[in-house]
Amino acid sequence: MNGETGRFLRTSYVVASVCGVAFFVMSVALLGIWPGRVLEDETRRMSPEHPLGLSISEQRGRVVYSREGCAYCHSQQVRYLHTDMARFGAPTLAWETRFDYPHLWGTRRIGPDLAREGGVHPEDWHFAHLYAPRNLVADSVMPAYPSLFDGSSDRPRQEARDLVAYLETLGRARELAGPEGEARARTACNCPDDEMKQMAFQAAALNMNPARTRRQGAAPPLPSAGMDRGRELYAHDCAACHGARGEAGGPGSAGLHPKPANLAAHEYSNARLSYVLWNGVAGTSMQAWRDLSAEDRAALAQVVRSFYTPQTEPALPADITDLGARVYAANCSQCHGEHGGGDGSAVAELRMAPTDFRGTRPTIAESLRALRNGVEGTQMAPWTGRLSEAELSAAAYYVRGFFGKPQ
Amino acid sequence: MALSENAHSNAAPAVETRLVYAHGLAAIVTLLISVTFGILASVELLVPDLAGNPAWLSWGRLRYDHTQGIMLGWLGNAFFAFLYHAVPLLTGRPVTSVRLGQWIFGLWNFAVVAPGWVLVLAGFSQPLEWAEFPLAVDAFVVLALVLAIVQFLPPFFWRGLEDLYVSSWYVIGALVFTVLAYPMGNFVPELVPGARGAAFSGLWIHDAVGLFVTPLALAIIYFVIPAATRRPIYSHFLSMLGFWLLFFLYPLNGTHHYVFSVIPMSAQIGAITASALLGVDVIIVVTNLLLSLRGAGVFPRDIGLRFAAMSTIFYLIVSIQGSVQAQMAVNQAVHFSDWVIGHSHLAMLGFATFAAAGGLAHVWQRIPWARYNARALEWSYWLLFAGVILMVTDLSIAGLVEARLWQSAAPWLDSVRAARPYWIVRTGSAIPIAAGFLALLAGFTTGRRGAGLDEIDQTVGRKPVEHIAPRLARAASGGA
Repeated sequence: MNGETGRFLRTSYVVASVCGVAFFVMSVALLGIWPGRVLEDETRRMSPEHPLGLSISEQRGRVVYSREGCAYCHSQQVRYLHTDMARFGAPTLAWETRFDYPHLWGTRRIGPDLAREGGVHPEDWHFAHLYAPRNLVADSVMPAYPSLFDGSSDRPRQEARDLVAYLETLGRARELAGPEGEARARTACNCPDDEMKQMAFQAAALNMNPARTRRQGAAPPLPSAGMDRGRELYAHDCAACHGARGEAGGPGSAGLHPKPANLAAHEYSNARLSYVLWNGVAGTSMQAWRDLSAEDRAALAQVVRSFYTPQTEPALPADITDLGARVYAANCSQCHGEHGGGDGSAVAELRMAPTDFRGTRPTIAESLRALRNGVEGTQMAPWTGRLSEAELSAAAYYVRGFFGKPQ
Repeated sequence: MALSENAHSNAAPAVETRLVYAHGLAAIVTLLISVTFGILASVELLVPDLAGNPAWLSWGRLRYDHTQGIMLGWLGNAFFAFLYHAVPLLTGRPVTSVRLGQWIFGLWNFAVVAPGWVLVLAGFSQPLEWAEFPLAVDAFVVLALVLAIVQFLPPFFWRGLEDLYVSSWYVIGALVFTVLAYPMGNFVPELVPGARGAAFSGLWIHDAVGLFVTPLALAIIYFVIPAATRRPIYSHFLSMLGFWLLFFLYPLNGTHHYVFSVIPMSAQIGAITASALLGVDVIIVVTNLLLSLRGAGVFPRDIGLRFAAMSTIFYLIVSIQGSVQAQMAVNQAVHFSDWVIGHSHLAMLGFATFAAAGGLAHVWQRIPWARYNARALEWSYWLLFAGVILMVTDLSIAGLVEARLWQSAAPWLDSVRAARPYWIVRTGSAIPIAAGFLALLAGFTTGRRGAGLDEIDQTVGRKPVEHIAPRLARAASGGA
């Protein structure tokens, strides 16, 4: 109760407060300001000179992404770990995040990391997926965002367009930097002995997302497999779009252009299925399934082949075959290739690779349907006005003859 | 009350019981709303197309409102309620102004929590953890915190002060540092991009828990234990050591939220080291608290003390868990998984909520005109205890399962499929937890008025006790 004690205590509170504030300032300096300066310096040195920023639409998409809490299930940061690199690709460099106000790194992954999401899926897939995720990915737990659409997935509102535009920017700057940019960053990093920093440049590919489609690329052969496992996988991963029996009527098919392949109306070679499951179909929503084991992909291939009912092939008179060959050479070979291999001279111009008839044989009905109506969402045009009925049928039969022929 | 009767038996300052009551009730109402957000979010992981997916009910917005509501609504109000009771008793002086108290109450609930929730649901928010309320709301948070400093801190610095309580230190530390740290987490990442902003964000993620929630929860525990056991804290030396290490180490932890990121490795390693040392500090603090509790048992009869005791035990577990999961070998596996969600629930629902509930029960008993239902609080304790254990165990296992699948070559979706049974159990754990919170509400709104005082008579007694003042206070006043 004496004044001495009171003064001592008050002084001690003041000292404590000052020390405490000093501790706090120290923490901000050590873990905020100093790392910030290092990162700023790294960004300056390692960034390409004119990295592509975000357009107005992409920035608005970023706001949608932020307000919906996307970052709370999808991180945007590939860590410097081999497990992260194997799934998602090159670890995130500081300069890649220079336009992120505020950052969206996230601390939880219910869905996969999205730092390299750009280019993995086409726009129509994103719209269909945002509108109703489980229409495409049966076991997804992602929220649906119908409020970004006018009643269906192919009627996106501006907000949905902005959001998808933003998703396409994820990982874009680094991809645009190209090998030259990587080399520049590596030199600027000047860290040959820093094992961890080197990891940023050591991923097998910048984007390792196993769903990312590739236009070209060899696929490993498929081992033999059992049907039961295949049916289970098909039900979980494929039926949403391709339909329960491969008839292409799954709920996910509605918003996709082109429509998912009708698996019951085509005969596929094992090589073709192996290729598609490994690389996806570039230009369509058919993703790659490289994250499935070889056995699982083989099991799926077997299930897909089982949807097709073999038909007795009619023996065609020579004049029909000749007519078909003439029509094909004049109208089809530019895209589908002289020998039906989907490798015509115009291929590079097309968004989606034309059908390779050596690995894919449509039923007569399907072949005629495609010739008459064209294929929506691809550059396959309807030929009804340009070819006579006889020519259409002849060509429809003719293309089926390529199946199984060697390269 | 017992604390003050010793030093200021002649002039015990009036506790503003109406402000205690208002904040206490607001705490429980906002708690129930926040828990509803959490339960809805957990249900949406099982039934993602709940109620036709209206935008305001989407998972991300519920998640934002859940954590912000728990931190600001529930814990914020509960801490204020406790401060209105504790500060006059700790200092022997009244708080600055009742009028100011009404302003703080209004700001906190009607300019921060309520509009924050509505704005988030309407799509206005920022995607920063523990900082999801939009900037306009953040401005009011800072204003309210400054006013809280004006309200609660002057009594500590008045002339003629002769008592020193550990609780006071934590109160001062918490209020001062929250005001400093809050803008850093809420404003800086909007101005500093990407990885640089993330470094600041990481600091705040930890400071929100370390500089706001933890010190105030500890202030409650350090207050309730001596007040309810009627014995001083075991060792004032350990108290001081624990306090200083805590305020030294907690702010240095932040970067452990971004291990294996591009943030400089030396900063990451510094934060990981600080995280390990923090575990040591918590062992010191908890040892001191448990020694102070000796003789009271693991489940003391006094309900406030019982909540505080279990909070202490949760604090030990969650802190050691935190130290371990910050280590690189562990972090690379469990980071991003449900393990961390389990950890944060052990911290906020185990440690902090038990401390806050204990503090509320303690102060409620001492409002002579408040209704008090001991039976309901008894139920509340056991329901919450069971719920926390179930939820945290479940989520920890889920995290390990996810971590294992992510390290294998299995498709991503396998980890989502594998988590489903654990998510079902987690949603199930909401039943005892929500029931426990409803019982808490019943405990404070039903029963007879003044039943709390009778409860004190039956448990700890109300007679003044000479030896209750902490050792250092006696030493400082000449060893009287």
